[in-house]
Amino acid sequence: MQVRMLSALWAGKITVKLARLAGGKGSSFPGKVALYLFPQALEAWAQKLNSRIIVVTGTNGKTTTNNMLASIFSSLGYRVLTNREGANLASGLASAFIRSASWKGNLSCDWALLEVDEAAFSKVTAHLKPAVVVVTNFFRDQLDRYGELDRTVSLVKEALSQLPPTKLVLNADDPLVVKLADTSHPVLFYGIGVPVRAGKEEESCREARFCPYCGRELQYQYYHYSQLGAYYCPGCGFARPPTQVEALAVRILDGHVSCQVRVGDQVVDCELPTLGFYNVYNALAVFGVGMWLGLSPEVIARELGRYVPATGRLQRFVHRGRPVYLNLVKNPAGFNETLRLLSMSSETKDVFIALNDNEADGRDVSWIWDVDLENLLPRSTVLSFVCSGRRAADMAVRLRYAGVPLGKIEVLPRLEDGVRTTLGGRGKSVYFLATYSALWPVEKLLRRYGKEERDADRLPSLS
Amino acid sequence: MLTVCHLYPDLLNLYGDRGNVAVFLRRCQWRGIPVRLLEVRFGESVDFTKVDFLFLGGGSDREQQLVVTDLLPRLANLRQAIEEGLVVLAICGGYQLLGHYYQTVEGRKLPGLGILDLYTEAGEDRLIGDVAVKVQVGGRSQILCGFENHSGRTFLGQVSPLGRVLRGFGNNGRDGTEGARYKNVFGTYLHGPLLPKNPAFADYLINLALARRGLEIMLPPLPDVLEKKAREVILRRLRLRGS
Repeated sequence: MQVRMLSALWAGKITVKLARLAGGKGSSFPGKVALYLFPQALEAWAQKLNSRIIVVTGTNGKTTTNNMLASIFSSLGYRVLTNREGANLASGLASAFIRSASWKGNLSCDWALLEVDEAAFSKVTAHLKPAVVVVTNFFRDQLDRYGELDRTVSLVKEALSQLPPTKLVLNADDPLVVKLADTSHPVLFYGIGVPVRAGKEEESCREARFCPYCGRELQYQYYHYSQLGAYYCPGCGFARPPTQVEALAVRILDGHVSCQVRVGDQVVDCELPTLGFYNVYNALAVFGVGMWLGLSPEVIARELGRYVPATGRLQRFVHRGRPVYLNLVKNPAGFNETLRLLSMSSETKDVFIALNDNEADGRDVSWIWDVDLENLLPRSTVLSFVCSGRRAADMAVRLRYAGVPLGKIEVLPRLEDGVRTTLGGRGKSVYFLATYSALWPVEKLLRRYGKEERDADRLPSLS
Repeated sequence: MLTVCHLYPDLLNLYGDRGNVAVFLRRCQWRGIPVRLLEVRFGESVDFTKVDFLFLGGGSDREQQLVVTDLLPRLANLRQAIEEGLVVLAICGGYQLLGHYYQTVEGRKLPGLGILDLYTEAGEDRLIGDVAVKVQVGGRSQILCGFENHSGRTFLGQVSPLGRVLRGFGNNGRDGTEGARYKNVFGTYLHGPLLPKNPAFADYLINLALARRGLEIMLPPLPDVLEKKAREVILRRLRLRGS
């Protein structure tokens, strides 16, 4: 066993080197090689960590939650192993272990913090036996790969019920996630306990309109977005459960979000240096993990205040003195939230949207019709829309039927053409939205033409 | 005034199919044809004979069953409207439930509405990918393109297919048929959504709806440059020429 383990590890390590020589990141392929040679590799590595493993799964927020956890654990002096963003199938996890392991097979880390694709969850968690599992939310994402959402949720639930005792951190505001509390594991719920934004709900992409137990239509006291909110079923009494971690007051300010968080019976203030309201959920999930592990909420709040967004998570650049934002869009729920951000500023802006249909993006691009462009698109302040990527024309058609005049829409499938034309616009700020496989190429181009801005204190004002 | 009815936007709302409704409405509005949208949810009443374009999207098995129980008591009204020429577009799950039944993997037969002479059996794997279909509508031949994603295999009885599969799987991946047509009822597996990708077919449906109200008019052409580009991407990928 030890011999097979080492040969798999060495093969993986050599593949990492070869992949780097070839100019790649080596974030998945080395793991594939290792798992081919030794299918139990994940299990063997997980055993070495003695279940000091945290798994984050769900549709949106995995990468940000995991990165937030990593920065907090590091600041506490732990050595952490994380998988590279997007490398969240079995091969990506194995690659992470390969990078962390020495040639003798020793892991140079205290904790493994892993984001796991919600559809791959059932296949990999049995090997990992994590101490804590976080489930953020369930939205429609890349349905052509996974079949309907209902199935994804039941697969995760089934996988959880087969795990040895694991502590769960669940989003109380998502009725689909709360279904997972039926398993025998101890659960800690988090949620946003107050209405934050008034406004139209976007019915078109509410995933869970009906009670998962009795089928009656769920009623809401208030919504946050999509199906997230304070729901209850008038039929069987299913309702948002009481939370152990709760945001009590949330204020969306210029360039950051300020909130008060109750963790057990303690209340802390937390300033998130990000524009995205949805990052409050990611922060709450982190407080939840901290509560299970006995970490101080003050320390968590302090570290979250210094959080630097990952690639394409409202990443900031500057181009000729103007703020430039890059944000990943991969499903209707996230796209809607990004549109809300665009509407927050009254400044003129140019908008770039790269729509790809590679495996990682989902081959089917029809999901853009579930984005509520009709109601959420700020019409007057956007000077131009540049559609780019393999399915640029599909995005352009979508904008046309949302009521954008043809004169404002440009189709430039080559990313480089699209980025250059967008940066040549007259807007006071520039927004780049990209699906998964377009994100890194666009980031590279933005680094070439602009400069990344990483200092949270010098956030450009948006209003 | 044309009345567009989106049936069960709350239950049958997968894969962006509501884009079909948006396109039907816009293409009427851009030509000055008065049009209104009626969203009919679960349990709400509607007189189908007053509707000009009825749209049914896809949903998961559970939701399709809810829809059938809600529609069965008003089947006579729906049938009457269909016999009078009501234009219906039903996609994927909505298409399946117009047939006699849907047989699950476990062998359970979930009854459908029996409007179209066809039945569907669940398959082990999903039929997924870009798809192109040759159809004859209004005396002309057109290529419809879209994206299919279904585990159900549909088999036709005494009902004509909507078209012949050029690329992709179609009804069942075996007999080369795609979709079904009875009078002005069109059932198909094509997502994409269908009408944004196929504006000529959208206009054909608008013409049918107008003709049922006694209006035989030539629709003024629209600048469909973007739609054309979007089609070309798929047709080129499928190695098909022409539109």
